[in-house]
Amino acid sequence: MKVASKGHSLFRIDNTRRVWFSNSQDKIDILETNSKAETRFMVSPSWPDTLNLTLVSPDSRTVFSLIIINKAGGLIYNKTFHEGGLNKISTNDYLVLAGTFHGVHAITARLNPVKPVAPPPTPGTNEPPNRPEPSSGLEVLETENFRMQCFNTLTGTKFLLFTETTQTNVDVTIKRIYDLYADYVMKNPFYSLEMPIRCDIFDRKLLSYIREINNR
Amino acid sequence: MVVYSFYIFDRHTECVYVKSWMPPQVPGTPAPVLSTGSDNAKLIFGTVFSLRNMVRKLGGDDDAFISYRTGQYKLHFYETPANLRFVMITDTGSASMRNVLHQIYINLWVEYVVKNPLAPVEHKGGAGVNNELFELGLDQFIRGLM
Repeated sequence: MKVASKGHSLFRIDNTRRVWFSNSQDKIDILETNSKAETRFMVSPSWPDTLNLTLVSPDSRTVFSLIIINKAGGLIYNKTFHEGGLNKISTNDYLVLAGTFHGVHAITARLNPVKPVAPPPTPGTNEPPNRPEPSSGLEVLETENFRMQCFNTLTGTKFLLFTETTQTNVDVTIKRIYDLYADYVMKNPFYSLEMPIRCDIFDRKLLSYIREINNR
Repeated sequence: MVVYSFYIFDRHTECVYVKSWMPPQVPGTPAPVLSTGSDNAKLIFGTVFSLRNMVRKLGGDDDAFISYRTGQYKLHFYETPANLRFVMITDTGSASMRNVLHQIYINLWVEYVVKNPLAPVEHKGGAGVNNELFELGLDQFIRGLM
């Protein structure tokens, strides 16, 4: 079963090649599928015309891998969930990548073209002037083959999630991963801060969560 | 959509063209301060160069870095086969500007810089790039987008 979206309405395709719209009782049968993964549907007379819907390819909702970088730019966790999405590179290259990204992230925050302005202090109170909101660094990186989302925690730990270019709701996924990290890594009494993460239960929970997304 | 600035880097990593546009002022708020300068161009080049290499390492040699977004701005990148790099910084809401950068390359760079008989082959210090036609065409094109 695959889920794709047409405009703003969601639909799913069942095993009998019938399309169901989630917000209504409408259903349509698939007529043909061409090699470019375009599917033509025959719609009921109440629909104005034949719809041409472009389906996302079977692989298009995949989380490729997760990297966690500590506040000093060191690689503390690295896991690949889907083979073939990204090139295999050596552990040493991953360490270099983590360090490079840490630096680039700091520069991207500095490059902000519009300097942040402090909100004016509330009149009538004797409070010190407000500080401007600090500029955030890189949040989403897009390339032809993948998409990378970066979540920077308040303490400077960075979670990088590599996904397919068409992946949606990545921020929800990454927040959930942060929850798992808080629950199973930070609450582990044997984990020493800023060190590589070796927690079995975190691995297991993460893997089952990502498997759930990749098989959806 | 707001375009903040635009940069061209040649194959020797030198910044040969910079242009920035002041964002329209929202009434009731202090005027935003645009930060530009040669240091910024160097930082931008370093960033896109590192990210491009990172992307190539992970996504394969045929992969291309398209854009990144922070909470405040979005940076678009386009590289020609001759390693000429076009960078545009816009606000976060704008869609992919890859085709826009490609159009700038085809319709402005090739037409007014490459085909200009007076422009040198290498644009050291921006020589031959900041001619009137290119400048005017770019400004019109970008203002048409905004």
